Amino acid sequence: MTMEAKTALHEIGNRHREILLYPDGNEPRSRMRVPLSRRHWLKWRLRHNPKTLVVEKRLADKKPLWWVLALGSLAVAAPFLSNSSLSIAAIFCMYAAINVLWTLIIGTAGIFSLATMAVVGLAGYAAAAANVYLGVPWPFMLLIGGVAGLVTGAFLALPSTRLDGLYYALLTLGMAEICRVFIQQLKPLAPSNGSINAVGSFIPSEWYLQREGLLLGFAAAFALLLGALLLFRLINSERLGLVLQTARDEEAFAEAIGIDYRRARSQVFMISSAGLGVIGSFYAMYYSSISPAVFSLDQLLLLFAMIVIGGIGRADGAVLGTAIVILIDKGMLDLGPARILLIAVIMMVVTLFAHNGLVGIREQFRNFRNRKKSEARARRTEKGGEVMPEEAIEIADKQEVYFRRFNKRLREELKLLITPDLLEEHRQKPLGRHSDGLSRVLNYFRRGEMADKYAIMRQPDGFNRYKIVALSGERGAPPRLVDDRIYETIEEAYHAVFLLRVNDLLES
Amino acid sequence: MSAITLIHGLNLAAIYGLMAIGISILWSSVGMINMAHGATFAVSGYTTWQVSLVLKPIIAAAFGNSVMASVSMAAAMLASGILSGALFGVLIYLLAYLPIHDKANFAVRSLIMTLAINLATVQVLLYLFGPNQRGLPKIFGFGKVELLGVNMRYDQIGTIVSTFAIMLLVLAWLRYSRKGLEIRAMMQNPEGAELSGISVRWTALPVTMMTGALAGLAAVLLSQTIFVSPTAGATPLIKGLTIALLGGLGSIPGALAGAVIIGFLEAIVGAIPFLGQRYVLFSQFLFIITFLIIRPRGIGGLLDETRE
Repeated sequence: MTMEAKTALHEIGNRHREILLYPDGNEPRSRMRVPLSRRHWLKWRLRHNPKTLVVEKRLADKKPLWWVLALGSLAVAAPFLSNSSLSIAAIFCMYAAINVLWTLIIGTAGIFSLATMAVVGLAGYAAAAANVYLGVPWPFMLLIGGVAGLVTGAFLALPSTRLDGLYYALLTLGMAEICRVFIQQLKPLAPSNGSINAVGSFIPSEWYLQREGLLLGFAAAFALLLGALLLFRLINSERLGLVLQTARDEEAFAEAIGIDYRRARSQVFMISSAGLGVIGSFYAMYYSSISPAVFSLDQLLLLFAMIVIGGIGRADGAVLGTAIVILIDKGMLDLGPARILLIAVIMMVVTLFAHNGLVGIREQFRNFRNRKKSEARARRTEKGGEVMPEEAIEIADKQEVYFRRFNKRLREELKLLITPDLLEEHRQKPLGRHSDGLSRVLNYFRRGEMADKYAIMRQPDGFNRYKIVALSGERGAPPRLVDDRIYETIEEAYHAVFLLRVNDLLES
Repeated sequence: MSAITLIHGLNLAAIYGLMAIGISILWSSVGMINMAHGATFAVSGYTTWQVSLVLKPIIAAAFGNSVMASVSMAAAMLASGILSGALFGVLIYLLAYLPIHDKANFAVRSLIMTLAINLATVQVLLYLFGPNQRGLPKIFGFGKVELLGVNMRYDQIGTIVSTFAIMLLVLAWLRYSRKGLEIRAMMQNPEGAELSGISVRWTALPVTMMTGALAGLAAVLLSQTIFVSPTAGATPLIKGLTIALLGGLGSIPGALAGAVIIGFLEAIVGAIPFLGQRYVLFSQFLFIITFLIIRPRGIGGLLDETRE
């Protein structure tokens, strides 16, 4: 049962875009947990609306919905796609899986490795060779690919802890080239120009390039992408990822509190490499062959363009970038070589204007807007009793902010009213009816705060002897003496207090 | 080691040195890894080819078949290679340095920008000239000469001598000119240089132009032995990068030493019968990886922490 909010609320800010539920306060709270873990499926946050005091349940993280929407629509639309679109979708899933795992290496582990395709290719070759020459059935190819990826990853992880980021990137850039040359030289492994053909596959051979085969291929590739995303979630947001997040900014500090970030990095690297190995064997099975083209520099650059356009370090960026680049590269074949040019131009535009790819634009825009806002606020605001922007965010009662701004403007106005004539008028007649200007000024003085307010104190030793004191504003704390001057009449003392206040007003 | 291997090694070392020094200087002064160095290489190769096509009849008409003709042809080709390289350097400066040099993530973003420039340039060259390979005229002529009992080809001598001369010129310019002083100040400490009134923008422009010109020169010289093609820049780029790494990014003497080591390694491995040309790249990378694992900063480089 839901409870409607009683007051009509206006649509201000982002509230109308929030996903809100109004749970029944009488029912006990229950939240669904992911099986075998203590995690929840969605990030619901409970709070009382400060205006209506109604309990509301807010979805604090809407990303899972977007994921379900995007991947779900792809899965639903797939059976209705044409054959060529279906194979494009399958290739998209495969590359997206590669890029998600690569993001794990670059983003989570912080190792700028460009040896991704080398790992994929080597594992693919290992699995294909095991199938063709040793007769290993296809389900075990995935396992062999994973193990091969793990071994390659372990080998590559060795220098990663020794070398600085960019050094390592440039070093691994050559890795794929070495692999290509090596595979082509290894005649017993790949006799026909470096490629292994007729690899066994999960797609039955009579279905190959048929509608059924394409559908099965897409389904498997989709499952592969889901697996890669699950692996990303398990590593990036659980213990290993959190440890590395701590170590990212302050390596020395992390080390000092006992985090072995080097070990965590190589662990992430090796796990991701094992995943890439599985994808490599899948690659060999999907095409039922593997050729040295998998190691080519162009292929690597295209993959790099994908994660760069999407945004480095985020799974959604990797998938989005892959979708864009695959759509251009495989979906617009009639454009010819201009496809790559278009991709390069997109890459340049994104790099020039976005700090971290397309998925980073939202945050970048918010930062930009906040900066502009605070700049504008600082321009509006000048010093003198008024609240500065830095202070304003710390004052809970915003009325105070506006009151101080009003006060400041009022003082500016009153300062203009202070003239020698006005002072003379007050000297002659401190009490009684006053002119408009003088009564405005006096009204302002009367409204002043109790702390440091001036008062007249009659001296105990004589009837017509007055001194001026300032009140402390605190109960129990005595007023302080302003000066030692003694006034003979009460009118004189009134006027002296008035002059002091005018002085304070002009100084403020 | 035979004398032929020695000369071959020196020849390769000269060309790789030109590429590696460009990359190294650009990294240490501007803080940018130039992945478009290969594109500069290819563009200069094509420009020189075009210039040679245009100038051939003109020079033939002016000088006939004399020595003067081949000398002026060589000068024109070297000049066009250097000029086009420098102009492409300006393009890289305008696209990959000027808009983002004071923004977040400059190192990675400029690397991506130069990669994109590389991709785009290769495609444009493919579109304009097609995938065919083009041969440049031999600027140093054909033939061999025997010096100190060693057979040398003219182009090898020409490459080694001209590289040596250009390298000396560049180093002297860096050492003695006002601009060179500014560049060296920026290589030592970019912030300090800026605080002393050196404009980072106006110093980066001649640096990108100079490194582009070096790549253009390397293109003309290397095209004496290989052909010009849209993707011709990839191998020199990778070799230049790895040599710059081996030498330690930012160190000119290190890059020179690295170039000599890698050049000789290539010549020797190529000359060993059972290894041959196919294993050249493999052995080079293996050597560089091993070296960098033992000494991560390269031959003459500083660690990043020390540099900061």
